Amino acid sequence: MSRAFLSPSRCDAGTLTSPLRRALEGANSAAVRDLSLEGVVEIRGDSDLVEVAEGEDLVRLSPQRGYIFTDGDPADVAERLRAGGVLAYDATGALAGMAIESEQVVRRLTDLDLDELPTSGPFAHVTAIVRRADDGWVEVYVQQEYGHYVAEAVVDALTGLDTSRGLTRGQTPDVSDPDGSPA
Amino acid sequence: MSFLLSCPFCGPRPVDEYAYFGEVTKRPGPSPTLRELTDYVYFRDNVAGVQREWWQHRSGCGEWFLAERDTRTNEVLEVILPEPGRNSPA
Amino acid sequence: MRLEPRSGERIDRSKPVSFSFAGWKVAGFEGDTLGSAAFAAGKRVFSRSFKYHRPRGLLCCSGHCPNCLMTVDGVPNVRVCTEPIREGAVVEGQNVRWSLDFDFMSVTDKVGGPFTPVGFYYRTFIRPRRLWPFYEKFLRSAAGLGELDEHAGYSRRYDTEHRKARVLVVGGGPAGRAAALAAAASGDGVVLVDEDASLNGMQLDGVEVLAPARALGIWEGGLVPVDAGTVLYRFRAARIIVATGAIEQPLVFPGNDLIGVMLPGGVRRLVNDFSIKPGNRAIVVAADDEGFEVADDLSEAGVAVPRVIDLRETRPRELVAQGGKGRVRRLVVDGESFDCDLLVASGGRQPAYSLLAQAGARIEFDSELGVFVPTELPSGVEAVGSVTGDGLGKVDPEPAYGGKGKCFVCVCEDVTTKDMKRAIAEGFDSIELAKRYTTTTMGPCQGKLCHLPSIRLYSKETRVYEAAIGTTTARPPWAPVELGLLAGRELTPARRTSMHWSHAEAGATIQWAGPWKRPYAYGEKPEDEVRAVHESLGVIDVSTLGKLFVEGPEAVALLERLYPNRFGDMKSGRIRYGVLTSDAGRIMDDGTIARLADDLYYVTTTSTGADAVTAWFEWWNAVWGYEAEIVNVTGAIAAVNLAGPQSRDALQRLTEADVSAEAFKYLDAQEIDVAGVPTLALRIGFVGELGYELHFPSPAGEYLWGQLVAEGARPFGLEPQRILRLEKGHVIVGQDTDSESNLYSAGMSWLPKLDKDDFVGKYALEHFAEREEKERLVGFTMEEDVLPAEGAQIVVEGFPAGRVTSARRSEAVGSVIGLAWVPTDRAKNGTRVEIRVDRLLRGARVTHGAFFDSAGQRMRS
Repeated sequence: MSRAFLSPSRCDAGTLTSPLRRALEGANSAAVRDLSLEGVVEIRGDSDLVEVAEGEDLVRLSPQRGYIFTDGDPADVAERLRAGGVLAYDATGALAGMAIESEQVVRRLTDLDLDELPTSGPFAHVTAIVRRADDGWVEVYVQQEYGHYVAEAVVDALTGLDTSRGLTRGQTPDVSDPDGSPA
Repeated sequence: MSFLLSCPFCGPRPVDEYAYFGEVTKRPGPSPTLRELTDYVYFRDNVAGVQREWWQHRSGCGEWFLAERDTRTNEVLEVILPEPGRNSPA
Repeated sequence: MRLEPRSGERIDRSKPVSFSFAGWKVAGFEGDTLGSAAFAAGKRVFSRSFKYHRPRGLLCCSGHCPNCLMTVDGVPNVRVCTEPIREGAVVEGQNVRWSLDFDFMSVTDKVGGPFTPVGFYYRTFIRPRRLWPFYEKFLRSAAGLGELDEHAGYSRRYDTEHRKARVLVVGGGPAGRAAALAAAASGDGVVLVDEDASLNGMQLDGVEVLAPARALGIWEGGLVPVDAGTVLYRFRAARIIVATGAIEQPLVFPGNDLIGVMLPGGVRRLVNDFSIKPGNRAIVVAADDEGFEVADDLSEAGVAVPRVIDLRETRPRELVAQGGKGRVRRLVVDGESFDCDLLVASGGRQPAYSLLAQAGARIEFDSELGVFVPTELPSGVEAVGSVTGDGLGKVDPEPAYGGKGKCFVCVCEDVTTKDMKRAIAEGFDSIELAKRYTTTTMGPCQGKLCHLPSIRLYSKETRVYEAAIGTTTARPPWAPVELGLLAGRELTPARRTSMHWSHAEAGATIQWAGPWKRPYAYGEKPEDEVRAVHESLGVIDVSTLGKLFVEGPEAVALLERLYPNRFGDMKSGRIRYGVLTSDAGRIMDDGTIARLADDLYYVTTTSTGADAVTAWFEWWNAVWGYEAEIVNVTGAIAAVNLAGPQSRDALQRLTEADVSAEAFKYLDAQEIDVAGVPTLALRIGFVGELGYELHFPSPAGEYLWGQLVAEGARPFGLEPQRILRLEKGHVIVGQDTDSESNLYSAGMSWLPKLDKDDFVGKYALEHFAEREEKERLVGFTMEEDVLPAEGAQIVVEGFPAGRVTSARRSEAVGSVIGLAWVPTDRAKNGTRVEIRVDRLLRGARVTHGAFFDSAGQRMRS
């Protein structure tokens, strides 16, 4: 049993699409970046047994659960971790990820404490893993099936920041809101 | 309801991050009578006071745990990790 | 009329701003509010009262009372006394017919008398019942506040922002500022909110000042939503300091709602902040020291103040404001008359305790002060300043002064002393009941100006001390808030599969299916898609199926205890259908279980069941502790069902693996490579034809879908799939079963293995196995070509005895077929039952087994 059917990295080149491709088309890449196809491995079992290699970042959710974010081939990383005594599953395809520059945009979509990252919790009403990148950007990972919806919410919040920044009571931004009414 | 509940792993979080699974019950042993089975399946103590109950941090780490909560005040006195056993109370 | 420039004024006279007020062009200055500019321009009528349509003018001038609620740029119920001025704003009156100055509906005030007492509508318009819609329409248009344009959509954008604060101070008065500074001395994370726009930009060392902004309530866990106009800040604060101060209370006397009767604070704001001369001749009547400071301000502004009445020294029996055209002209005190065009009247100040009460503080009547004060604050919540009663003097005005004329207790709802007395006389002898009957304190001010006067009056009339009456419940929001702000952005999580855009771009009709967005069908005719599956080749996106790994040395033991089925005897590479039951013996979910290795099972669930089944498995394992992990890989894996007689050939063209009938049998699972994508192929047949479920990495979804379509597979949607599965008599859990269904009544008595030691639901199923089920889930074939609705009645001897759960027209079977719950004595194959279709009873025959290819040769071929 190879579990290769979990691993995008085992697919032929040119076969992969990010779940955020449509939602982030035309979005300001200086404000939000797509991380969906970067390697992630889900871990079950005693995370003390996990040896983290260079280019890997372990996010522990509980003593038994965690994720490794890796620059390497996640399928290989999963095999290595299994050899080390934990269960590991390539979660690259499972998660849609995006890096967001503005902390204020993040706060408009989650009440998680951004001083306590990494953690997991609700983001735009969807369970997410939230961590901070080296450059200070906030990285949000959700189940890929919610990816398009969450990315739309992020793009919308970015728009909102532009239109309502600095506005106070009594000042009405002069924007019509085509998406304001429920679809 | 907006009270904070402490996940054993993630710390205090708004209660709506959690799934509530009711008070801890005692699953009957093999071949229960219809009365014993019905008591277990349908009846709850529903105490006005401290009860031990199941919670899952559904929108967070996903782990299940037990909490001692005062149902009158929503004060959570203690959160406890389950101690599994093949015949544990469910 | 503006005064000469004065020090401390908030207006910038070098920056004129103009707007339209009830059709008039009005000019003011930057720093004005819409209300102060209109007042300075001589406007006095700002609104018409709720019930009597009496003209009303500025009263509190601090955003508490209802008197200046107007529609601004289409947004109703804006308090113009605090709303900052802005160029070009369109300010209009509300609840008026014709104009603010001349309102046809004010006839209700003149007729008044017997027609408009409290409870009048409830009693009078109750009969005849059929006329109620007419009455209701009239009454609703006759009374009320501003109107929403239901079709206008969002007039502006509202956002929600989550914030945390170490210390949140509510109220920016002297006490609040001092508390904020003290808190800031020991660290950052101190935020102060105040509704006064003039605090915007105020510098307080180490304190973030949010103004104008209103704290709407205090919830458990230190949650404080703050209304900042277009952004709702949801604060979580470790420590909350309430410094909301005290609110001036109106005196209750006849004519107390006339234009020109104002509270001292409002007058002082007009004079000191906006440099307006509010009248020419003023009388001041007050019950505490604060009330008299206004007299000096008025004198300084050139207003004559011929008389100041201190209610602590004199206790007049009669106090009447009289006027003409709704404006005050004189005050009559025990027969003595004083001309005035401004009557400043105050009944003392009541601590603004509402936020504290919401947080759980006790509110008690302090008989020393004559007002209600907060006590027993909950932990994490503090109070400072006059909200605690500090600095307030004893106030003890008459609850209501005598005299002729309407005497208002509650200006929001037009409740008079007469209404209150009548309610008490009719037996509403608890303050909570009297409140509901008269609606006193239930208007826009939410009791800020009428709660204390109501209780004072109530106490006098019932001869019960205020302390014993207590208060009514203080509920959030503390200040009126726009619904759009509470709603925030539209955030409805939608799940889309990784092939979603391939469907959308192929023109599929997308519909909600539980939490998912899924194709209903790709063309106008779902039956064409059904035919393709029967005759050649179809493909459907089934990525929505829940997918779980159950892995570990005890995986099999865990599954054996979760399912009624047996799994230990399965070989690796084989698949079995499984149904989950609860300990009540009810059907919860179903799916397939493939054994991939000795210690690894791949479980699929229904499309809506993945999260619940995962939680269910994990919960039981938290109870039992089997050495097995449950991992939800629903999102990681895309899946399609390639189905139809040509599916084997199509699959063979895309893989080097041998998928021949001999090498890849029905209910086999194999890992193969399909068009360069590693795939777990499951040979199962939900739609009844030869078919393969292909499970592969999600990001390859669009690619592999494209490959399969290129091989000639016709995409089919949910609706064709529903027809196909119904032709096979396959049950959809949740559609054909409900929370009462069990394996025996649903016709799956072969499934549970009661000889297993234990499994969830075993005990209940043991009991069910021995009893006769009342009803059964069976198939039926209509005798005529009519389609019963889902939920249609099964009728036996004239009585409803069952219901249809699914019904479709099937080309392949040649009739309308369906599934239904029928009484057990009607469940035999071939029994005739009657189904109500469009009010008529139509015949149908109970049909056991599959309607199409009942031997199952096609899917096993």
